[in-house]
Order: sequence, then structure tokens, then C-alpha cells
Amino acid sequence: MKKLMCHLVAGYPTMELSYQAAMGMVEGGASYLEVQFPFSDPTADGPRIQEACVQALEGGFTLQEGFQMVRNLSKTYPEVPIFLMSYASLVFRRGISWFLDQAKEAGVKGLIVPDLPFDQDEGYYEAAWERGLHPVSVIVPTMEANRLHQLQKLLESHGEEFVYVALRTGITGDPTNLSDENLTFLRSLKARGLKLLAGFGISTSAQVEALSPYVEAVVVGSYLVGIIRDAISTLKGSNLERGVSLKRAVNRAVSTLIQPD
Amino acid sequence: MRVQPSADRLSKQEVGERQSPLRGFFGSFGGRYVAEVLRKPLDELEQAFLSIVPSKEFQAEYQEKLKSFVGRPTPLYYAENTTRRLGGGRLYIKLEGLAATGAHKINNALGQGLLARRMGKKRVIAETGAGQHGVAVAAVCAHLGIPCRVYMGEVDMMRQKPNVFWMERYGAEVVGVSSGSRTLKDAVNEALRDWASHPDDTFYILGSALGPAPYPDMVRTFQSIIGRETKEQLAALGLEPTALIACVGGGSNAIGFFSPYLYPEGWQAGQVEKSGQRAVGSSDTVNTQRHLSAFPSIGPRLIGVEAGGRGPGKGQHAARMSGEGKVGIVQGYKSRFLLDEDGQVLPTHSVSAGLDYPGIGPELAYLGDMGRIEFTTATDKEAIEAMDFFARTEGILFALESAHGGAAALRLLPSFSNEDVVVVNMSGRGDKDLFITARELDRERWKEFLQREVASLGDSL
Repeated sequence: MKKLMCHLVAGYPTMELSYQAAMGMVEGGASYLEVQFPFSDPTADGPRIQEACVQALEGGFTLQEGFQMVRNLSKTYPEVPIFLMSYASLVFRRGISWFLDQAKEAGVKGLIVPDLPFDQDEGYYEAAWERGLHPVSVIVPTMEANRLHQLQKLLESHGEEFVYVALRTGITGDPTNLSDENLTFLRSLKARGLKLLAGFGISTSAQVEALSPYVEAVVVGSYLVGIIRDAISTLKGSNLERGVSLKRAVNRAVSTLIQPD
Repeated sequence: MRVQPSADRLSKQEVGERQSPLRGFFGSFGGRYVAEVLRKPLDELEQAFLSIVPSKEFQAEYQEKLKSFVGRPTPLYYAENTTRRLGGGRLYIKLEGLAATGAHKINNALGQGLLARRMGKKRVIAETGAGQHGVAVAAVCAHLGIPCRVYMGEVDMMRQKPNVFWMERYGAEVVGVSSGSRTLKDAVNEALRDWASHPDDTFYILGSALGPAPYPDMVRTFQSIIGRETKEQLAALGLEPTALIACVGGGSNAIGFFSPYLYPEGWQAGQVEKSGQRAVGSSDTVNTQRHLSAFPSIGPRLIGVEAGGRGPGKGQHAARMSGEGKVGIVQGYKSRFLLDEDGQVLPTHSVSAGLDYPGIGPELAYLGDMGRIEFTTATDKEAIEAMDFFARTEGILFALESAHGGAAALRLLPSFSNEDVVVVNMSGRGDKDLFITARELDRERWKEFLQREVASLGDSL
């Protein structure tokens, strides 16, 4: 069973079109959505996602609109869990409690905030659990064994299963060559009873196929941002027509990753 | 009792665990809010910093190069003409800009460069805004024989072309950053991304006392030479300072210059206000109100001068402490930043690229909130006027960044008595600003000159 977590940047290229892209993802077979709220300084992201964030912010993205989009998505597709990805600055600015309340109310299942690691989190993990939200830690292959152990103990004590596995060092978007080491690492994490959302540099159905036995879902991010970028350069006609063509392009890309032609 | 480090040696205390029971924190500011991929390289860096930097061998090498390569000690100059002209306190200027490559940046670049070599790193990366840190790193890497790449926003590359040229002469590869606002903060982002992609062989020489721990501690440690030297130079004259004044961008010259005077005697680790620290955080619930002024002898007034730019208003300045700064978490550390309601980083402006940055080093923010450091601003115009004033009155050319400190000194000097000793740090010298100051102060003749230059380039093709 191949499951995808499809990533998109809210507000890219516009709020409306990003919603169409999300619909295309779900209709193409996405099992999870990862909605990124754009931040002005996304240090963990590569050029494609950076550009998408800049464009979304230039288009006037606000948190209010972002939560509204997530709310609409979660109502339309209650069967597709939505994880919200963003950076500490946005989560912290008006208060972590405020941000998490908004997320909960919008129907979010969990959050990925890479620069609030579990041991410097400003209370974010506990506050998320209190609300029944999943704070998703990012695990990297270079993580020290005792640190991983510390994290696992924390997760166990709260019955938390979801973790995000970055398959290599570096930033999003660069290609990843899956090695035996990757798969061994994933196998060992899976054996610990964790539900893995694994990604970084995933762009082919062969990669999805190779990862699927070990993970809850394969995360596809920059590749889909690239699909959206390429599609919008050819969009024509009314807003409605543009939305339909974008949705179709994204749908096709996602379904091809799951079920190659 | 707190040990006062001597000028030619860093004490263990200077390097290591300081004011907070949580290493890397200053009150609730600082920390290491980074993606997991950067955690291990930062842990390794911290270990190396704590074990290598205080060692005799490291210190011997560092101190020797501070003399022979950097040109230390830098002079402490009595600004007699200014003192006579303005009345009030006696003004001294620490001529830090006479260090090699024209600014204090070299103290830190050399320290981190030597640490990189001792850690066996094969490659150095750095960010730069005005180009002063980039030039310093490029020179140090040439000296040490380490390949060097400097990230610089494309906007900064345009306005600081001469420094791009000098970095390349020193053999550095200068990479333009086209993301975001294409200025210093984006160069920091790009350097962090590079480091995340090459954590094993690469050393990131960060230029200001900010970023994730251990950088704020490390940069202060390497810049503390400015303050320790000043203190000795004053002591040799039989003087105690009444006030110290420095410009503040990220704040590396200020924290280094203020370092011997930051915490009163008797101050101990563990006394830090913790309220808000473990609570669920937000910009508005953090409380670091704990006043050092409760101590009987607090030391000289410490005055930080931020970029007032064109005046108040979003995007017009870079005043975090004296302006509209909010507590936030950006680029791996918690401090005060210029942020909008959603937490997006706001644009900034200053005539001096070195102060044109939305965040301030966490230790300065902490000491500002506690009332130990006073913050004020100087506008673009005041800085340029101060630069001009000191050139004519003293024969000393301030960098535009440092001229913000100079402007505040000119404003405040008459409020002191003639027993008082006021020291301003001229963190850099002004040669690098030729293209900015000439167009501001001598526009027509400068334009004619440039047109002639362009024409003559055409002739020789």
C-alpha cells in the first residue's frame, strides 16, 4: 500500500490556486496533506519552496487566511489528515497556545515545526498534546543515538507515534539517492513502533515504491511545488479555468507517483 | 567573586558557562532553535569552543596573530578638540577601525578561523552584509590557507561592490543570494543551508554575536579583546569610564566593547530570572524584568546605538530595542526582532549596511530588558553628520555604522560633567563607505568623477 503525504505552500501561487492544488493532491490519491504556512526566512528549505514562500507572502498571505484554507480543506476532505508545517517565528509570535488553538479549531491533526526541537520547544510539545494535536519531531540520520533515545522516551510517555524522517542532511529539494543505509535506518525506526513520515528529495514513483514498506507515508514536497510552478506558467483563461487546469496537473503528478503509467 | 580576565588571556569564565543555568541562554533569550540537522554540528562546535579556545596553545597562537596579523592593540585616542568644542565629559575614541581589514570583525574571524583549523575543517563559509565580516574572513582564510565561500545578498553586493572586489582578491568565492530581501538576513539563511548540507567538513564563521548557541558566547569571547584592552588603556591613564557608547547592529562590537563591564561584581550564574522561560511561549508573555540596578555598584553606563534610519515607521529603521522590536525566534535564536503581527520578519533600512538587520544579539537584548544597557538611535542623517564632524574636528574617519555611536556621543557629551570619561568605540573606519558618503555629501563632483572614469574605461577597451 503506497501512501503519500503531499506538501504544498498555502498561498502559492495564490490562496485560491493553492486550494485547487490541494484538491488535486487529494483527488490524485494523497493520504495526508502537509500544508506549509510561508515564513519570510525559511532556513530549512531549498530554492523551490523558498520561492513559493516569497511569492505567497508577496501575495499577502496571512495566518488568518492560512487557517481558513485548512479549515475548508478539513471540512471538504475529513478523511485526509492535515499536518501544518511552519517555523517557530509564526508559531511563537502571538503565543503558542493561540496558534495551537487556531490549528485545532481548523481541523489540523498535527504540526511540523523544525526549529522548535523537542528540547528547546517553549512548551510547544506539551501544549500540542494537551489539545490532542500531534507535534511531529524531525529525525535525521546524523542524530546521536542517545538524543534519539531521549526523544523516543518523550514520545512514548505521551503515546506519540508520528515522526518526520529527513532521509539525508541538507535542505529540501535536492535529489536523494536512497541507499541501503536509509532503509536500514527506517526499518530500525519502524521497529520502535513509530509512524514514519519520510521525505526530502522524493520525486519518482520508484522512490515511493522503495520507501513504502517502511513508512506510514512518503512525503513529497519540492517536487510538487515544482509541478505547480511549471503548471502556472501555462495557465490560461478565467480564474475558474486556471484552477481546473492546475488541479488536473497536480492530480496527474500525484497519481503517477502512486500508480506509474 | 567574578574573576576579571586580563587583556592578554581569556579566562575559563570568559569562554564558558556564564549568566544562565541553561547554557546558551541569557535569561530567556538565546538558545539553539534549529532544525535537527544542525544540532550535531552545533554540539560539536560548542565542545570544540569550550575545550580548545581556553587552551594555552590556542591562546598563544591567537594572541600572537592578534599582534602580528591584526595589528593590536588598537589605540585609545583622546578627542581633545571635540571635548573642548562641546564641553561636558571628556571624550575618548577606541580606534578599533585601525585593525587589519578596517574593522573589529577581524578579531572574531581570526578566532573562529583558528578554531576551524584546529577542528580539521576543510572549508569555511560566512555571511556578510556590508562586506566587512566577509573581507575579514576572506583575509583570515587566505592567511590560514583554508578555502572560503562568502554568502552576500544581491542588494548588498550592488551597494558594497568594493568589498566584493576585495574578498575576491583574498581568494574567497563570493556567492550572491537572490532569495528574500537579498540582504544580510538572507545571506545568513543561505549560510545555514550550506552548513546543513555540508556539516562534516565545513566551519561556519558567523560574524555577529547572534544565531544559535554557541555563537553568541563565542563571538563575544573573541570580541572581548576590545573591552579588555580599553579597560587597560584607561587604567594606564588613571581613568575609570563613566559611559561607553557603541553602535549596535547584531551587536558584536558592542558586546565585546562592553564585556568587562556587563555584570556587576557578585553576579552569579543562577540568578537569572526564569519566569516565562518554561511557560508556553509567546512574544508578549515573556518576562525578563529583573533589574541589575539592585546591585550597589553597577559600573559605567553602557549605551547601545541602533540605526534610526529615516525615522519611525515600518521598514524605515533597524531599531529593535528602542523601536518596535518584538520577542521572537528567528535564525536559531530567541531575541528581539522587527516582526509583523504574524511573525514575518519586517524589512529594515539603514544607510549603513552593517546595522541593517532585523534582529539583535540575545545577550544585548537581555541586558537591555534588564536595564543594564541603555538603547538609543541615531538617524542616517545624524550618522553622516557625525562622520563628517569627526573627520574635520579630529582627523578621524568613522565607518557609517560606528558613526551612529559617534552621533550619540556628540549628542550626550554636553550632559556629562568635565570629570566624566566617555568612550565611544569606532568599530570600523570609513574608507569603505566612499561610494555612499560621496553621493550624499559631494554629489555633483562625485558624479562627474564617475562619468569620467566610465568614459576612460571605454577608451581603453
